[in-house]
Amino acid sequence: MAATLTATAPAPPRKLLASRRTRVGILYALPVVVYLLVLFVYPIFSTLFLSLKDTDGALTLHWYADALTGVNLSVLFTTLRISAETAVLSLVFGFVLANAISRLKPLWAGVAMLIVVVPHFISALVRTYGWIIMLGDKGLVNETMAWAPGAPFQLLYNELGVVIGTTSMMLPYTVLLLYGVMRGVDRRLLAAAASMGAGRVTIFRRIYLPLVAPGLASAGLLSFILSLGYYITPALMGGPNQTMIATLINQQVMKENQWNGAAAQGVILLLITFAGLLLVKLVTSLGASRRKRSAS
Amino acid sequence: MMELRSTLAGRIVLTAVATMILLFLALPIVVILVTSFSDNAFAAFPPDTWTLNWYKALFADGSKWPAALSLSALVAALSTVFSLIIGVTAATALVRSELPLRSAVFALVLGPLVIPQIVTALGLFLLFEPAAMLGSPIAIALGHTVLAAPIAVLILIATLRGIDERLEDAAASMGAGRLTIARRITFPLAAPGMIAAAIFSFITSFDEFYISQFLSSVDTVTLPVQVYNSLTFEIDPSVTAISAILIAFAILALGLVALVRWLGSGRQGSLLSVENTAGVANPGGETV
Repeated sequence: MAATLTATAPAPPRKLLASRRTRVGILYALPVVVYLLVLFVYPIFSTLFLSLKDTDGALTLHWYADALTGVNLSVLFTTLRISAETAVLSLVFGFVLANAISRLKPLWAGVAMLIVVVPHFISALVRTYGWIIMLGDKGLVNETMAWAPGAPFQLLYNELGVVIGTTSMMLPYTVLLLYGVMRGVDRRLLAAAASMGAGRVTIFRRIYLPLVAPGLASAGLLSFILSLGYYITPALMGGPNQTMIATLINQQVMKENQWNGAAAQGVILLLITFAGLLLVKLVTSLGASRRKRSAS
Repeated sequence: MMELRSTLAGRIVLTAVATMILLFLALPIVVILVTSFSDNAFAAFPPDTWTLNWYKALFADGSKWPAALSLSALVAALSTVFSLIIGVTAATALVRSELPLRSAVFALVLGPLVIPQIVTALGLFLLFEPAAMLGSPIAIALGHTVLAAPIAVLILIATLRGIDERLEDAAASMGAGRLTIARRITFPLAAPGMIAAAIFSFITSFDEFYISQFLSSVDTVTLPVQVYNSLTFEIDPSVTAISAILIAFAILALGLVALVRWLGSGRQGSLLSVENTAGVANPGGETV
């Protein structure tokens, strides 16, 4: 009797404590959950409903048919193209820069990281304006390139201008992600390969690249996803051929009062984003299993 | 020898390319700062003559900038308060309690950070338009909080994780009540993180463009929307001055965060020092 008492006695208080911690947790989680359900999840669902509703209230898919034909379809393709170009460029630049920074002494690496991170916290509008000043006919770039044949170059209001702008916006993300990945590479693996007589190129191709590949893929995908919804830079640095889907959504709401069409395009943008995020998740789990295998 | 030479050449090329990329990131910002003092405000660099006229023009009669600046400051202040309330409670729930569906709550918090802002802005427009709240500073602040609160939550989660729970346990074992522990132990240790969360919430709201544009009306225009309008519709050279002010403001805010972090970094160490001199192993590793 005594034995069962001592054995069961601690259970009730612990259970009580656990349920108290649970109640506290639910209570403290309420503000964020309620806030985001009302101001984030519900608005997205009402966007979805609006995109499926005809002017007379009946269910329809014709806003999607509109969004996927004619000019709207070519805007969608432009969006995908510019995002892909941005992703590739910010990945290449990001790889080179992260690689260079990871070889620097801590002090210089810190200074370089500061130059990477600080612009990220400065308004994208302001940075875009900086590019407009720099890339104009009499801007810094054309002034320094004045000796070159064909100068001044048309660097603004075309696709080159847009991609320069969006790449500089995405670069802080890719540098930070890739720097983290590169710091995580086990240097002993490279040393082991070198000790067995592998050359620099072989080590890079056979050991280093496979280890950082998943990080490269997710960084590229992430900058692709983040570019999809871009509006400021394409609108200010591009021409009519660089209209992206966000610009179209904005126009339909602000100028044409065409909310249903805008909603359908918003949902399409959302679906592409989800597909991209799913890919990121897949690539990340692939990378985790690969790292585990190489470590063993 | 051959190997050595190729590495040296490789290093020089890599350094040169990396410097170019850093310039690519920094130059647009430097150019604005310089041009804001230039006599010829449009697209000429480097400037021939210097002036303060664009800064003076910001506060001249009939200028739209003071109104936009004060609206943005008001909205950002409101949004910072909302974000801190949500951030402190949510981080407590996620770090210091047994929360059912924890990963679902965390995914919900991350949602606004990964979903295109234009979609969030469109949704908020559809929410506030029927309520006739377009142009209301409260509506814009509520909208900005959707983006700012998740950032505050993430910063405060990291802050709470960094606080050694044994300090609170120790206080409790000596008879301190819940409120005393919160006031005397947790709050002072969490203060640097809370200040960082507040600053980042403020910057997020102050610079936010998409939601502001969808929720603004003709007479309530936030600073970024006004900047965008001056870059597209009207020709207003004082936009360089306001851009330079925004840059200075962002750098100042980041400096403040760094300062607060640096000042706060010693606190937990001094509280734990008794334990360390006593030679007790520190299971947390590098807590100090």
